[in-house]
Amino acid sequence: MDRKKILLVDDSSTVLLMERMILSKHEYDVVTAKDGAEGVEKAVAERPDLILMDVVMPRMDGFEACRRLRQQDDTRDIPVIMVSTRGELASVESGYASGCNDYVTKPINGLELLAKVRSCLGQ
Amino acid sequence: MADHPRSDRPAATPAGAGQDLQKVSEHLREVISSLRSEQERLASDVRPAGSARGAPGGAGDAGELERRRLASELALAREAVAHANEERDRLRARVEELETEHRVLSDDYVAAQARATELAQLFVALERLHGGRSRADVVAAVQEIVINVIGSEELALFERRGEVLGLLKAFGVDPGPIHAIPLGQGVIGRTGASGATWIAGRDASAPGDPELSACIPLRAGDETVGALAIWRLLGHKPVLDEQDHAVFDLLSAHAGLALQLRAPEGGALDA
Repeated sequence: MDRKKILLVDDSSTVLLMERMILSKHEYDVVTAKDGAEGVEKAVAERPDLILMDVVMPRMDGFEACRRLRQQDDTRDIPVIMVSTRGELASVESGYASGCNDYVTKPINGLELLAKVRSCLGQ
Repeated sequence: MADHPRSDRPAATPAGAGQDLQKVSEHLREVISSLRSEQERLASDVRPAGSARGAPGGAGDAGELERRRLASELALAREAVAHANEERDRLRARVEELETEHRVLSDDYVAAQARATELAQLFVALERLHGGRSRADVVAAVQEIVINVIGSEELALFERRGEVLGLLKAFGVDPGPIHAIPLGQGVIGRTGASGATWIAGRDASAPGDPELSACIPLRAGDETVGALAIWRLLGHKPVLDEQDHAVFDLLSAHAGLALQLRAPEGGALDA
């Protein structure tokens, strides 16, 4: 089976490290970006199979980054999972409106994250 | 008379012999006719009697054979059904075994995954606390751990300055009222003085604070050098669990030490 590549976009080193630890032991290749703008650039350059996108980030937030990804032919079909401390309905709705495929809340639950990642990747 | 056959009967004239032959012939015809009639009568007697009684050799035999064949087939079918029922019961038992096994494996997987997440959290916390080069890095690491690992956006970090806990960093709460807390005063002051972790709802005997979720002493060796207070948890985080307690233990043992190792000599920590 091909190893899937996942782009992690978060300004928190703690979250990036957590996500990397959870995903790497399940044979996913991981690349990272520290904000939304870098996330869009890395998505174009790396063509990941999936993106985990934080919401609140400097330079460009996750919603805007997701909208940008959906506007580009190269990246419009890449599934995006929003990762946020905000679990409120309004925040979730904003995420879906920007084009994300799914949503997970922090603190990250490893089992939930893996289930959603696998679902988005059709595994 | 040597050419005539010997006979005990008196010799007959040719005319008389012809009449005798005719009589014999007629008698034989009668006998044959009688035998044929008898044969037909017997035959007609045998047919209906045989079919009514199932006598061997008749249609009754065929019926008996058919009955026996059907009985034999029924016995075989019953045997097959009994065997199928046994097989079904065996398969049901095996399915139940497999379902139980599946549940156990699923539970084990969930437990292992939870344990893996807990270990990842502890590793990440340790890495972040000791990976920073400055006090600001350590403070930022504590804040990120509380927000992203514990699940609260209301926290304050204190360091001990003589008999008070001085505020190092406040996030999501008003720093004014907690700028300096005397040791022994309130939950935070008592944590700084006693060096014991306080968790809301866990220690009913200790006086609490309805706003606080937890207060963790920060230690460097045996000495309590500060405290970390955590107020409201995130809306989707219902309670603090065992994983959180493990992270608290790690923060207690390592955050204070990490700060101490990066503290400017005799200087206060930056707020």
